[in-house]
Amino acid sequence: MTVNLKRSSPGGAQEPGRRSMLGLLTGAGLAGSGLLGVISNLVFIKPRATYGQPQRFTIGKPDDFPTGSRVALQAQKICVVREGDKLAAVSTVCTHLGCTVGLSETGFACPCHGSRFDHDGVVTGGPAPKPLPWYKVTLAPNGEIEVDKDTEVPSGSYLSL
Amino acid sequence: MSADTRNRSGLAGALRDLPRNVWNSIFRNPVPSNDVERSATTFTNFFLHIHPVKVHPNSLRPIYTMGLGLISFFLFLILVLTGIALMFYYVPATSQAYDRMLDLRGSVAFGTILRNMHRWAAHGMVAVVFLHMCRVFFTGAYKKPREFNWVLGVVLFLVTLLLSFTGYLLPWDQLAFWAITVGAAIAGYAPVVGKEIQFLLMGGNAVGQEALLRFYVLHVAVLPAVMTVLVAVHFWRIRKDGGLSRPPEAEIKPDLEVTRPPAVLDPKRTYGLQGLVRGPLTRVGDLPDNELYSWPHLFRAELFVLVVTVSVILLLSLAFNAPLEEPVNALHPPNPAKAPWYFLGLQEMVSYSAFWGGIGVPGIFVLLLLLTPYLDRNPKGVGKWFAKERLLANTVFLTFVVVNVIFVIIGTFFRGPNWAFVTPW
Repeated sequence: MTVNLKRSSPGGAQEPGRRSMLGLLTGAGLAGSGLLGVISNLVFIKPRATYGQPQRFTIGKPDDFPTGSRVALQAQKICVVREGDKLAAVSTVCTHLGCTVGLSETGFACPCHGSRFDHDGVVTGGPAPKPLPWYKVTLAPNGEIEVDKDTEVPSGSYLSL
Repeated sequence: MSADTRNRSGLAGALRDLPRNVWNSIFRNPVPSNDVERSATTFTNFFLHIHPVKVHPNSLRPIYTMGLGLISFFLFLILVLTGIALMFYYVPATSQAYDRMLDLRGSVAFGTILRNMHRWAAHGMVAVVFLHMCRVFFTGAYKKPREFNWVLGVVLFLVTLLLSFTGYLLPWDQLAFWAITVGAAIAGYAPVVGKEIQFLLMGGNAVGQEALLRFYVLHVAVLPAVMTVLVAVHFWRIRKDGGLSRPPEAEIKPDLEVTRPPAVLDPKRTYGLQGLVRGPLTRVGDLPDNELYSWPHLFRAELFVLVVTVSVILLLSLAFNAPLEEPVNALHPPNPAKAPWYFLGLQEMVSYSAFWGGIGVPGIFVLLLLLTPYLDRNPKGVGKWFAKERLLANTVFLTFVVVNVIFVIIGTFFRGPNWAFVTPW
């Protein structure tokens, strides 16, 4: 085994410009292909269609919610608040890490990390960074209450019946 | 080598020689009875050849390594084998996963013990990998030239945590569902790309079938593949970094240097491969007179650790059943909703602040761990437990360990419904 210890490739000394250019192009080609591969994979694993519940739905007639009541609708993850002729929908998804908060005497309490909210969803304790959002509530033409979870409204915005 | 290779003649002779010839074609060396054969066996056997032929006595001191790295590896083997077995009966569908757990307990032969072994080996691996990291730190074993192997080790620890996290979601019980929900929400707090990562993890806007399938693929294919490759490199680096760390032997042989000057080769001469491969590489064989043959000393120790590890996991699995909570109720989190013990420290921190507890502080910890060998360049105190020269580094690391343990204990015993502070007595 003979060893060539000169730091150059055999026969490459005559045309260094062409060799290094080829090396550069090869490297750029490989890097570009790798980058394309990474981007394609990211595009691939990001779903285009998602499955889930509709964000706009009806929850029944106003009469289903007696005045002064707070009714938690578990499947829709909202709490319907009725006070006299006013009605509102407050989210029951904890703004901390997404657990479902339960109704408590003072408002809402989260079982996962101990966040607490008052009746209006304002944080009164624990790690939650934001108050519970209120959603837009309208009266559909057929007299049912429609909740739109895509539209947040300022807390305290009731629907007057 | 010394095996009898004289063959009898004729067909009858070939048949009579058949067992011996088949055996000798598989195992080129007889069971070693002298040092040359011990070297040849270690060197030529595929499964043994990742070991050095001779090993330093310090590497065999049980009190030095406590066998923690090896135990981690054996636990990983148990997990791979039991995990593959469990895959025959598991379906990653929200409608079936929980029923499949009940099947494993009720109608699959050895189903309970397989699931128990998989669960307890997983818990054991998280604990042992962490203890292995502590051992390496307290003996200063991450010092030059082993810096990069420490970095690989930190990454392996993270992969171990990810494997256990993606694993305990698969039964699709209450713990699984709310762990996905909380885990993905923590990822959502990461700066800039957080929400995007959360969406990719869950495969949608809510935790459901897509999320279960994603975590399943990560758990049975992606992460084990990453783990296997990194473990291989981790082992390979042990050899190439000069074997296990040990106290410097300058007193015995002052001319020994881990980093030898690069070879100065004469271009006119002919060199063998060993002549070329010189420089800052392995020290194996530098001290042959002080070292012991791997066969039988190292292999006997490894076999012992294997038998103990498997026995402990088997006994645990016979004595305790792996927990299975209620089937998923997407409407009601359990109260309190607790992660497994090794994530309760994280959950405790998250209960103060989602960003700092889930991303900020853990991120800083991991960054500090990765940079440890490049920040602490004090070359003294390698190869000794709690060396005096490393008082500062060891104190810092011990503080980090104790704080973690305290958070885990608070999360485990001192948190009740609504994550309120309770006393366990």
